[in-house]
Amino acid sequence: MKSWWRDGDRVREVELLQVAPGRWRVRVDQSEFELMSETMPDGKLRLVGDGRDTVAEVTPEGARRFVRLGVLDFVLERESGGRTRSASGAHDGGMEAPMPGVVTKVMVVVGDEVSKGQPLVALEAMKMEHLIRAPRQGRVKKVAASPGQMVQAGAALVELEG
Amino acid sequence: MFKKVLIANRGEITCRVAATLHEMGIRSVAVYSEADRGALHTRVCDEARFIGASEARESYLNAEAVVRAALESGADAVHPGFGFLAENAAFAEAVAAAGLTFIGPTPAQVRAMGDKREARRLAEGAGVPIVPGAEGADAKALVRAANAMGYPVMIKAALGGGGKGMQVAQDAKHLAEAIEAAQRVAASAFGDASVYVEKLLEHARHVEVQVLGDGQGRAVHVFERDCTLQRRHQKVVEEAPAPTITADQRAIVTHAAVRLAEAVKYRGAGTIETLITREGQAYFLEMNTRLQVEHPVTELVSGIDLVRAQIEIAASGRLPFEQHGIKRHGHAIEARLYAEDAARNFLPQVGTAARVRWPDGPFVRVDAGVESGDQVTVHYDPMLAKIIAYGPTRESAIARLLGALDDTRVHGVVTNLPFLRALLRAPEVRKGSYDTEWVEREFLEGFAALMRAPAPDLVLAAVAIAEASGAPAARPVNGAPERALDPFAALGRWRQAGLSE
Repeated sequence: MKSWWRDGDRVREVELLQVAPGRWRVRVDQSEFELMSETMPDGKLRLVGDGRDTVAEVTPEGARRFVRLGVLDFVLERESGGRTRSASGAHDGGMEAPMPGVVTKVMVVVGDEVSKGQPLVALEAMKMEHLIRAPRQGRVKKVAASPGQMVQAGAALVELEG
Repeated sequence: MFKKVLIANRGEITCRVAATLHEMGIRSVAVYSEADRGALHTRVCDEARFIGASEARESYLNAEAVVRAALESGADAVHPGFGFLAENAAFAEAVAAAGLTFIGPTPAQVRAMGDKREARRLAEGAGVPIVPGAEGADAKALVRAANAMGYPVMIKAALGGGGKGMQVAQDAKHLAEAIEAAQRVAASAFGDASVYVEKLLEHARHVEVQVLGDGQGRAVHVFERDCTLQRRHQKVVEEAPAPTITADQRAIVTHAAVRLAEAVKYRGAGTIETLITREGQAYFLEMNTRLQVEHPVTELVSGIDLVRAQIEIAASGRLPFEQHGIKRHGHAIEARLYAEDAARNFLPQVGTAARVRWPDGPFVRVDAGVESGDQVTVHYDPMLAKIIAYGPTRESAIARLLGALDDTRVHGVVTNLPFLRALLRAPEVRKGSYDTEWVEREFLEGFAALMRAPAPDLVLAAVAIAEASGAPAARPVNGAPERALDPFAALGRWRQAGLSE
């Protein structure tokens, strides 16, 4: 059984084979190892392998998995099919909201020529302002933001062409 | 003494004020917005009243709705907490006009200190040195003044506070853009677009003095706090006493603070913020006419409940203690836990805090605003809790805070917990050799690199096995945290380079 997980700016592949109840053959990217697992009464996962004995807490929240392993915390996000979706719109010309918030100002209209770094849209959330800037030079193809509008994280606000 | 007090706030500060009210035998009333239905702060108060839509303007910033809730609940006083209406003079007036007591300074004091330009004039009048600066609505004139002062400069909201809307400009070219951005945030956050420009003092430490005034010209100080560890010009770790100042510098700032509080006949709890330069010169920054987020560190070293002092002053018009009765012991340090992604420019995060566990060791205090299952929404400040530790020395307080942070669990929403744990382990922090810009200038890059390191293979295995075995999510555990494991032993051969601390 394969699954893919976003880990920062990379996607990791995990292949899991159950060899017996609570016994697993695991491949993470290129490395393979065996593990025994036990779900403890409090829901935590005890993992034993290679003489090591570790407790992991895995909390699912939507596509995300919050993991405490030992004393370190990690956040992974489920990816479907192992294909990387673009982490920010900068690659395909769309400028996305980095967080949910309220649009406070739109500084461009369709047809504007913009230079790299030029502020396009001001977004406010939790009383902090973020400027969405042009990732490159180009012409504004589409503006999908208006002042006062509430936007979700990842919403495309401005598209560039050229 | 009051019989019932309405707390015009939300989150952890409402819970903290309610705790003192409860101890004093005063009934507490919470208010809540649509987004905060059933939120922790509504559960810890004796009663809770709905005041409006999720948008703060419709609820927590809606003075009329808050005063109406106070009247309908039969409260005889209002505690504003911090943020929202705490430094809104019109609100303080409306509370008084409704025949209720505002637990805080007079409206005139709130107004004078709330206008940072007026505050600078008052400080100067009381003989407290101020940072070179310029004010006015004309952006061109501000740029000219900045050119004369020399860069970098800071642009601040005239009616602002808490670092919100603050911008730094390195040269004239960026100043115009920064002024415009600061005006926008000021208009939206404080209802007034006025800004002023101040010379950015580099390599300075933020040291502030807690004062209490009786409103008749007598004031005392409860020593100082150091809040130099900041990101985005907002405090993230605070401590008392200030670890690097000399006894002379301490005497200078505490006396100046008392002088200013007495000069304006200050009433209630307030804080005089200063910057101390590398050369040892202290400059007045601003006076906050309210309880500070970081008040717990002062409480832990002085043994004084500052909320109780606020309530007693409001009820009696007298200071509950004399200056010579205020003593200080040991060291306290606080870390602010925010729902923000420290590795991605501190972007605020939203979500469900599905699993939350707060530390509860000896000498550890947690002022929290969320429990397992609570929502973190886009509408309000992303601070979830403050974790504070006390020790006989700074070293022991930091060690206890680190232990407490290791035992803290917030799953379901991304927080700055990894940032705090790395920050408090930094040698510069241990040594106290940093300034207000240090985090962004020197610490952040290494931290971001640490966060970019791939997760150990075992983490991926744990996620996949949890998925495959349909393991139920670990249940929230209330009670004693389990012993933290040694990260190195625990991670074994799966530990990747770069993850060790």
